[in-house]
Amino acid sequence: MTEKQNQEMEDQKLLGLLAQFEDPVSLVHACNEARESGYNKIDAFSPFPVHGIDPALGIPRTILPFFVLIIGLTGCAVGLGMQYYANAGDWSDLFPGYNFMISGKPFFSLPANIPVTFEVVVLSSAIATFLGMWALNRLPRLANPLHRISRFKRVTNDKFFLLVETKDPKFSREETESQLNQWGASVIEEVHEDLTDQQLPSWLQLVGLMTALILLIPPVLIFRAEGMTNRKPRLHVIPDMDWQEKYKTQTLAPNLGDEKHPVFLFVDGRAMQEPIPGTIARGNLYTDSEYYRGIKSGTESFATLQSAGARTGLQDDASQDKSGQDKPDQDPTADEKPAEPAEPDWVTQFPPNVNVDQALLERGQQRFNIYCSACHGYAGNGDGLVNARAMALAASGQATWTTAKSLNDPEIIKNPVGRIFDTISNGRGTMGPYKSQIPVEDRWAIVAYVRALQGTGLQPVTVTQADEETVEK
Amino acid sequence: MATTVEPILDNTLDDPDHRSPLVLGDMDYADVTDKVCSIWEADKSPKVWWLVLIMAISMLMMLGGCIGHLLMKGVGVWGNNNPAYWGWPIVNFVFWVGIGHAGTLISAILFLFRQNWRTSINRAAEAMTIFAVICAGTFPGIHIGRVWVFYWLFPVPSEHLAMWPNFRSPLLWDVFAVSTYFTVSLLFWYMGMVPDIATYRDRAKSKIRKLVYGLLSLGWTGSARGWHRYEAAYVILAALATPLVLSVHTIVSFDFAVSQVPGWHTTIFPPYFVAGAIFSGFAMVVTLLVPARKIYGLQNLITIRHLENMNKIIMATGLMVGTAYGIEFFISWYSGVAPERFAFYNRAFGNYWWAYWIMVTCNVFIPQLFWFKFFRTNTIAMVVICIFVNVGMWFERFVITVTSLCRDFLPSSWHYFHPTEIDIMMFIGSFGLFTTLFLLFCRFLPIIAISEVKSILPIKGKDH
Repeated sequence: MTEKQNQEMEDQKLLGLLAQFEDPVSLVHACNEARESGYNKIDAFSPFPVHGIDPALGIPRTILPFFVLIIGLTGCAVGLGMQYYANAGDWSDLFPGYNFMISGKPFFSLPANIPVTFEVVVLSSAIATFLGMWALNRLPRLANPLHRISRFKRVTNDKFFLLVETKDPKFSREETESQLNQWGASVIEEVHEDLTDQQLPSWLQLVGLMTALILLIPPVLIFRAEGMTNRKPRLHVIPDMDWQEKYKTQTLAPNLGDEKHPVFLFVDGRAMQEPIPGTIARGNLYTDSEYYRGIKSGTESFATLQSAGARTGLQDDASQDKSGQDKPDQDPTADEKPAEPAEPDWVTQFPPNVNVDQALLERGQQRFNIYCSACHGYAGNGDGLVNARAMALAASGQATWTTAKSLNDPEIIKNPVGRIFDTISNGRGTMGPYKSQIPVEDRWAIVAYVRALQGTGLQPVTVTQADEETVEK
Repeated sequence: MATTVEPILDNTLDDPDHRSPLVLGDMDYADVTDKVCSIWEADKSPKVWWLVLIMAISMLMMLGGCIGHLLMKGVGVWGNNNPAYWGWPIVNFVFWVGIGHAGTLISAILFLFRQNWRTSINRAAEAMTIFAVICAGTFPGIHIGRVWVFYWLFPVPSEHLAMWPNFRSPLLWDVFAVSTYFTVSLLFWYMGMVPDIATYRDRAKSKIRKLVYGLLSLGWTGSARGWHRYEAAYVILAALATPLVLSVHTIVSFDFAVSQVPGWHTTIFPPYFVAGAIFSGFAMVVTLLVPARKIYGLQNLITIRHLENMNKIIMATGLMVGTAYGIEFFISWYSGVAPERFAFYNRAFGNYWWAYWIMVTCNVFIPQLFWFKFFRTNTIAMVVICIFVNVGMWFERFVITVTSLCRDFLPSSWHYFHPTEIDIMMFIGSFGLFTTLFLLFCRFLPIIAISEVKSILPIKGKDH
């Protein structure tokens, strides 16, 4: 050490005295002595945790476990909440949860959510332990005056040290030194404050600055792009099969050969081909209008059919509500009866490929009893169980319900078979469409059975007082 | 003096008079520091290190090439195909993640049980855990098909996907379990290493080393207050890692057990997988440490007693695994379910009978040699047995995954699984990744927990 450096050391503030010990036992002994002599700003340093040093220095138990407990419990709540929100919560528009329906199980079932909750608890507690321990130890610390003392490097090897700080009220340069000697210190050194330690090497500062500047470039570019308009398509980093090598509709098939001997995938050179004779494209199956729609063929445009098909109860309700809201001043009766679309030309006879016979009627009865009788009743009088129950609820104000039509109503009897078929297929008023549940042939069977029911003219059985008396007896 | 005390050479004997020493050669604190630091302070690494490193890096480059090929072409480059959609990638994943378990067992469970012999081996075992989990994570990571949207595995809000992960899927539990396991193991390993990195810092000569180890040691001084909190944190982390390590392989086994496939749908899977994981992990620790102690001359720190203890654990867990194999057969018979019975009959005597019997031979029969003290204490014999154990454990995962899938419910899709060259090269490449990391660790980080070994040395003070 040069004269100049020595002088610098002398000028700097004394922080404390560092005593070296040769083994853990004498260190614990010295710590005990120091604490009993009234020192409290003392710390011991050792290469490994020395048994018995905590009581010798009077170190209180650390609060780390409580800190970890709190973070762990928070992790538990966050873990559970995250799963509830993601799989069972669907209330936010910004980042809505996504309700996975899996085998009809509940969206949130604790046993299935325990593994992830457990892992989140362990992860958060472990991170809390790790960071909490360093924070409580006031680490990381880049500069420490103790590291300036070359002798102190042995603390991570085989020597033991006791530091008495000048901040200690009992500290006195000479007396403390003699006490330390008395307690078995082999060497005693002064610890000085050193301000030069506080600085990082200048090249490291430069590297840090450069890194920070480079890291700033992406956010700056993004921020700039936010305020700009651009005609170019956006960057598409991952194609994800968005572009495929395939022939598109209404295009020429590219020439696969050379110019002199052109080779096309198809002889006519077009990418698009006519359907093969005898095949039917998807959605084009229903060309037999009488059979599939109950409407005489060639009498109605596709658009009218669409509106007829959309004439379900729900949409009627919606359009009524909307018109009611938009025009509150109008006559309410006008809202209740929106303009009926022009009636298509319904078939009045069963289509030729529907063979009305005993088997069809029996099939129709069976299907009617399954699908229709719940509301319309087994005899078609509009007194099914659902209807009865709904009427009872409606009477006490617990539900709104439009009475199921009696199929024996003279108005209904007047309807041609095509219209009945359409009603079953697409619904009418509050009745829903059944075309997805009932195949076409079964719908015609039901139509046939409905016609048969109407032919019988059965009336609902009303319970007379005489009957009740008979029952009571 | 007429008689001198003979230095103890064989610490595998149990003398009721005194505890057998865990560190031989009458080493004191400075000797332990010097011995461990000599690996790092040596100017040149041993020739063997360079040789193995070059081999490992070439294997690692092969792995990188295979992954690149996979990303360009898609997962079709593997042998996975109907009905065996889970082929080698999953087998390798379970194999590697299982190996990792021994490290946490040594560092956490043996710590809670106050098994002092763990101090010499825990650092290397923890490092092995981390490297094994890196290898394990690679396989499902590239198995997801579109690697570039890997973040969909995690619950990140995504406008593009407009949905969240399904938290009731064992595959998602796996994401959480393995990533938590990796993070906690890394924290535990690094925190345990900080006092030893401080030793390296205080002995560093070159400027770069001073800077790097100075930053990594976080200004550790070894103050008594620091040690107090450090030990508290160590106990908490051990207490957290213990249920964690059991949960990880349990959840890995759920990947299979929660499905309906015969041969997978069994409740014995979680304990049986955990036992198998510890079994294979200890075998890997022995395989790594026997050459390491020989090359770096650490025989006095990693003594025969340490190795013998590990071999005893290998035998115990091997017996558990063997019992589980037997129980599986009993339960499939006892269940009376025809597909279950068929699945297990098919395992032992079907198309893959060879894989099944390799597994049984390596995992059940060969470890029985550890009943003899010669095999427990002879380093060459134990390494050979441990390599057999790891071969057997790889085949165990292969048998479970492939035999069940190739004979599933639909006989028309029954098939014989064939791995492709890419499958094989990737598996070999994963050993390259593992070995490269382990060799670099040996060279640049303390492979023995210096401060922990010092704390179990007999105290030589004035009063003693």
